Amino acid sequence: MIEKYSEIIGEQELDSIFKIAEKLKGVSVLHVNSTPSGGGVAEILSRLVPLMRELGIQTDWKVIRGDMEFFTVTKSFHNSLQNGYGDLPKGAFEIYNKWQEINGNEIDLDYDVIFIHDPQPAGLIKFKKKGKWIWRCHIDISNPYEPVWRFLKQYIDQYDSIIISSPVFGRDDLSKPQYIVPPSIDPLSIKNRHIPEITVRRILYRYDVDPDRPIITQVSRFDRAKDPLGVIKAYKLVKKHADVQLVYVGSPASDDPEGEIVYKETVAAAGDDKDIKLLMLPPNSDLEINAFQRGATVVMQKSIKEGFGLTVSEALWKEKPVIGGNTGGIPLQVINNVTGYLVNTPEEAAHYTLYLLRNEKVRRELGRNGREHVKKNFLITRELRDYLMIASLALGGSSVGTSGDPISSNPEWVPR
Amino acid sequence: MQKEIKELLDKPARTPFRFKAAYYPPKYAGIKAYTVDELIEGIKRVDGLSIFYHIFHPLFSSHVVPEDMHNDFALWIRDELHNLELAQLISDVEGKEPRTVEDVRADLIKILNENKVSGRATKPFYFISCTPVVYDTNKEAKTLGELIDTIATITVRSIAYHFIFKRVMGYTAKNDFSLWIEENYGLKELSNALSSIDPQTYTDEEKLREDLLRKIEEVIFK
Repeated sequence: MIEKYSEIIGEQELDSIFKIAEKLKGVSVLHVNSTPSGGGVAEILSRLVPLMRELGIQTDWKVIRGDMEFFTVTKSFHNSLQNGYGDLPKGAFEIYNKWQEINGNEIDLDYDVIFIHDPQPAGLIKFKKKGKWIWRCHIDISNPYEPVWRFLKQYIDQYDSIIISSPVFGRDDLSKPQYIVPPSIDPLSIKNRHIPEITVRRILYRYDVDPDRPIITQVSRFDRAKDPLGVIKAYKLVKKHADVQLVYVGSPASDDPEGEIVYKETVAAAGDDKDIKLLMLPPNSDLEINAFQRGATVVMQKSIKEGFGLTVSEALWKEKPVIGGNTGGIPLQVINNVTGYLVNTPEEAAHYTLYLLRNEKVRRELGRNGREHVKKNFLITRELRDYLMIASLALGGSSVGTSGDPISSNPEWVPR
Repeated sequence: MQKEIKELLDKPARTPFRFKAAYYPPKYAGIKAYTVDELIEGIKRVDGLSIFYHIFHPLFSSHVVPEDMHNDFALWIRDELHNLELAQLISDVEGKEPRTVEDVRADLIKILNENKVSGRATKPFYFISCTPVVYDTNKEAKTLGELIDTIATITVRSIAYHFIFKRVMGYTAKNDFSLWIEENYGLKELSNALSSIDPQTYTDEEKLREDLLRKIEEVIFK
């Protein structure tokens, strides 16, 4: 399977991954997160874990369990970390700790390297017996609600290293290394690989979307951070000038109890406009998402808060220009006037959407640039290599490959 | 003449050239700058690998630097402080041999101090450092001819490691190719020709590869 990537990234890039993986032969690796499906983290893990195994690294993926009360707490943590203010349920910290205890006692954590993804399972570090623990933070923690950050920091300080998605999320109050690893997409997955035009059209028809009229598409959860109401507003502004359709493709996630409330708010904002399609697709609707992104004239990701916003890379990979919110990891993907446009308001989003709808040549050029940008920066092979390197560094080696010796063991290589 | 060149290219080296390559996983250095003064302070405080990352990494990394701005500092000054003149000065800071990151650091501070601009950026400059991860490509050159062939085909990360990283970080006085050529063949002119290339002013790694090969061609086949 992994060999197939060489057609996309080239033999030399793939070869470097094999070389770096050699250092981790015999090492056991565990990934822990809070949901088996829905959202970017589960999606990355579903691809990354098999690839790590294929490289000969013993890799497992475990999902913590919790009840509605726990996930309401972790959702409030998530929101308060990203938004800078908090609205925590009563007894939030106790509920969080209770489920860390339950999971800590149930999950086998006897591994050499453990990647804990996001705040939900961060407290499992209390149960560390051996190995190197790495906290992989997928969200924006640069301006958190202080009480929640202080609470989580007592755990995060115990990790050996931290991974953030962008330097923008870097914190000055952490003493451990904060590696910068943007997330990635898998170009061979059903969601991202090439599909024939007939498949695109069939799926658009199936959801009553007209493939022959312009389409604005946003693919994201029904979450206030993704600004679905702002998307509706931008669409309505564009609609005054162009015969356009809006497709908002969301999916439920088991760790997001707020989703249904936001969905209902969005339905109310859409009103009775037949050209607005608000879809709540099941988590494994990858082919549909692929088709909606490929069928789009312009893709929007108008988030007001974002971890990284992988749907941007998905769209760019499909040569679609993206109107992206100027937040989180989106500016790493949307480069103004190169791969799309960064916006702060629905009015700006409407302006650039209209510009792109009117200019096919610009759309094509930005689309081409976008695919190249993703190829260089945001494919899963790069993220796989980053994880391997960080695991290797955590275990004390800073050189890898058949020559063996870590750089740090050779005085010649001690950086100045 | 042709026979002499052939003999030179096929003459076995005393020590084969072993090609390694490296990645440089970035890590947040814990320093941000909103103004030129803060940028100067940051440049003073960060480790040499951070200067290496911001000045040389754009060449062979995949982060986005427009081709007319050769390093991260220049890009930030242009886009966030909106001062094109200072950005151009910073963009063209010299990185040629025998200069190391410490020389570059001193130059950056001097240029920024001499050309201070006011203003505060909305988006700060985030200082990033890195930890080199080196791996053996399992490729080696036993002759000068094989060195040329391998430079022409190997991952550009290997070229960057041998030609830039080790030298600018101060581990070697010259780039590895020049050192090997001098030590094994005594070809000073060729060695110096390679040393004269300033990698700091490249934003396209394939262009650097082409220019290295062109220099070799110019000297050997002249």
